Amino acid sequence: MSDRVLGIQYSTLAQERETVTLGMWAFLATEVLFFGALIAAYLNYRIWFGAEFIAAASLTKVALGTANTAVLLTSSACMAMAVITFDAGSKRAPVLWLAATALLGLAFVGIKGTEWFLEYQEHLVPALNFDLPRYGGIAEIFFIFYFCATGLHALHLLIGISLVSWLAWRIGTGRLQPGGSTTRLIGLYWHFVDIVWIFLFPLIYLAGRNM
Amino acid sequence: MHAPRNETYLNATVGIRSWLLTTDHKRIALLYFAGITFFFFIGGIAATLIRFELLTPGPTLGSADLYNRLFTMHGIIMVWFFLIPSIPTTMGNFILPMMIGARDLAFPRLNLTSWYLYMAGGLITLTALLLGGVDTGWTFYTPYSTFYATGYLILAVFGIFVSGFSSILTGLNFIVTVHKLRAPGMTWYKLPVFVWSTYATSVILVLATPVLAMTLLMLLAERVLHVGIFSPQLGGDPILFQHMFWFYSHPAVYIMILPSMGVISEIVPVFSRKPLFGYYFVVWCSIAIAVIGFLVWGHHMFVAGQALYASLAFSFLSYLVAVPSAIKVFNWTATMHEGWIRFDAPMLYAFGFIGLFTIGGLTGLFLAALPIDVHVTDTYFVVAHFHYIMVGGAVMGYFAGLHYWWPKITGRLYPDYWARFAAILAFFGFNLTFFPQFILGYLGMPRRYQTYPPEFQIWHVLSSAGASILAVGYALPLFYFAWSILRGPRASANPWGATGLEWSTRSPPPPENFATTPTVIRPPYQYVRGEPLMQAGDV
Amino acid sequence: MTAGTIWRCWLTLMLLLAATTASAFVPLGSLNLPVSLAIAVAKALIVLIFFMELRASRPLVRSFAAAGFFWLLIMIVLTGADYWHRNDTRAPIDEMPLPSR
Repeated sequence: MSDRVLGIQYSTLAQERETVTLGMWAFLATEVLFFGALIAAYLNYRIWFGAEFIAAASLTKVALGTANTAVLLTSSACMAMAVITFDAGSKRAPVLWLAATALLGLAFVGIKGTEWFLEYQEHLVPALNFDLPRYGGIAEIFFIFYFCATGLHALHLLIGISLVSWLAWRIGTGRLQPGGSTTRLIGLYWHFVDIVWIFLFPLIYLAGRNM
Repeated sequence: MHAPRNETYLNATVGIRSWLLTTDHKRIALLYFAGITFFFFIGGIAATLIRFELLTPGPTLGSADLYNRLFTMHGIIMVWFFLIPSIPTTMGNFILPMMIGARDLAFPRLNLTSWYLYMAGGLITLTALLLGGVDTGWTFYTPYSTFYATGYLILAVFGIFVSGFSSILTGLNFIVTVHKLRAPGMTWYKLPVFVWSTYATSVILVLATPVLAMTLLMLLAERVLHVGIFSPQLGGDPILFQHMFWFYSHPAVYIMILPSMGVISEIVPVFSRKPLFGYYFVVWCSIAIAVIGFLVWGHHMFVAGQALYASLAFSFLSYLVAVPSAIKVFNWTATMHEGWIRFDAPMLYAFGFIGLFTIGGLTGLFLAALPIDVHVTDTYFVVAHFHYIMVGGAVMGYFAGLHYWWPKITGRLYPDYWARFAAILAFFGFNLTFFPQFILGYLGMPRRYQTYPPEFQIWHVLSSAGASILAVGYALPLFYFAWSILRGPRASANPWGATGLEWSTRSPPPPENFATTPTVIRPPYQYVRGEPLMQAGDV
Repeated sequence: MTAGTIWRCWLTLMLLLAATTASAFVPLGSLNLPVSLAIAVAKALIVLIFFMELRASRPLVRSFAAAGFFWLLIMIVLTGADYWHRNDTRAPIDEMPLPSR
């Protein structure tokens, strides 16, 4: 993503900026279908299994999940602040906002890890120690979805944290100047990871809470 | 700043690193050609062994288990490592930027990454298949594949997973390129149909392949962790796997056919010396096929246990998807009407495509009817149907494009009479191979079976005989293409007298395609009294 | 996009989060899922339109953004057609409970 040297396929910088933006949105569309396939499978099982599947969701930790959602939504706001302060020509402000974004991302991963640890202690981890006689086969399928979805999401988040940290270093050391697209593109990716969680949250944590 | 008179993309830089680290879309296309050809022949060897095995009603070559591994290998290699990449990564990569007047794709380094992902995935899967393979069929149905199958399933599936990213990135590259890098004056409705077809294909690549990625991940999770996502003994639903698998794999067949249709749409006007009939219909039908193709996947699951209501919906939608394909066939035929037809090799392959694709497509309609499908599903009728489309259609289209753009890509001409002979041989060999299979299927011969009742043998022998002729038809181009590179006469910029920006630059093209970015003033396929009005550009 | 917009959006997102979590504890029967999904869609739209700047983007970019979600909808609706109707006709064996292992 070099902002200054124009590839032979481009005639203007504006064309390059528009092109890479379009490319990132096309990539995000593929990610919508990637996570979406998992969500579609989940929804079908929710219809198919009904009450037992929904009840399994009440075994998740809604307080930690809600806290995590707040963390990630705030990190998106920080990322957006990084983009506009960098646009405005500042160097210190975007680095600080990017650091905040990355730290909040790490906080998310930490809280998630805590949840997983608690679930391990409660014998809710399929293939490791799932207590089938106690919870039942349908609950096990729910938790397979839970670990696949949150695991893949965490992986994407870790990639995002790496990208944000790298960006903060580039801006902080003066290697990246405003006027290009890099910051915005990484911002798009970060916001997308947030959106995935926005949909995973109600599906995982909010089902079966009033049964 | 343009290249000296004798500099081409082939000789501009030398050395293995200049090829393996290239970002030139034309060189990457050749890298793909090498891989595609390699995998085509591996898949072909598997097919040869299959047809040899089926010569006798009992075991011929080996056990039923070996046979299962052979047809699985054939399916996996041909679908994911030959058909899906074939035209987009070779001709799409090479010709598409030139057709729109661009110097390269939008993301050249991503393009090279796509090739490496393709080769890595292909070699991983090939290793799995050679180590002992898999016996599940290319469809990996659960719970057999996840709980009972022996073999190197995890490795094979992982290779497919990796190559899926190659597909996604290539599709993404093409979509963005067509939107943003068209030359001045090149509006959407001046684009050649090959560009529209490749664009439609790329939309499918981008939207369908991620679903396959997730499906394969869940498959691997079930196999590795022994958890019951799709397995009824643990409460899961095997049909869910089929839904997810076919949500990708049905659009995948349109990935395989749309580019071939694009090639045919290029060739028929040139060799009829007439503009393409119904350009707007043809381009919007390409888009329609891509979109409606996402709505029909359940027709692979009519007898799997899917709800009847869903089967009805999918059956109706499957009838709908045939309409745009048929419209295209009518348009190609109308293009030829009152044209000046030339029977060069590309046109012979195009004729073959139109006839064989029509038969394959019609038999698809038979299969879309629920009561007929109940009778012939999982029989050789289905095998014949999809081979008519995939081989009679897609592969013929691939060879048509190969023969059409060969002079542009290599700067050499091939011996025309050998090429025509190969095309005709392939056509006859193909029909002898696959028409008996319609009859076999109707009579009740199941697919994926090594042994069969003796009364079916005559049809299998005919089919295997046809396969040997088809093999010669496919092998011949290896020889005359090799000869053309070594000894063939040099090609001019436009040996076929065609319209299109790719023909306005020399053969082989210079590294940056055009000395100056062309300005487009005319729609495509402008033939008047059999002669083309050339587009603006340099020669 | 200004700092003011960003923090107003953040506030709205927090309020929506509180609403969705609270609504989960209210017995709404089969409405719980649509309500929580509707709130999720609202949150996602705020992120898409403001943080991801779709508000200021060209129609082409917006159509790319929409395409992924639209195609996902196709997948959900058509597979749903199967799962919603799978039990329309049941055989006696379907009435037997699943083995517990």
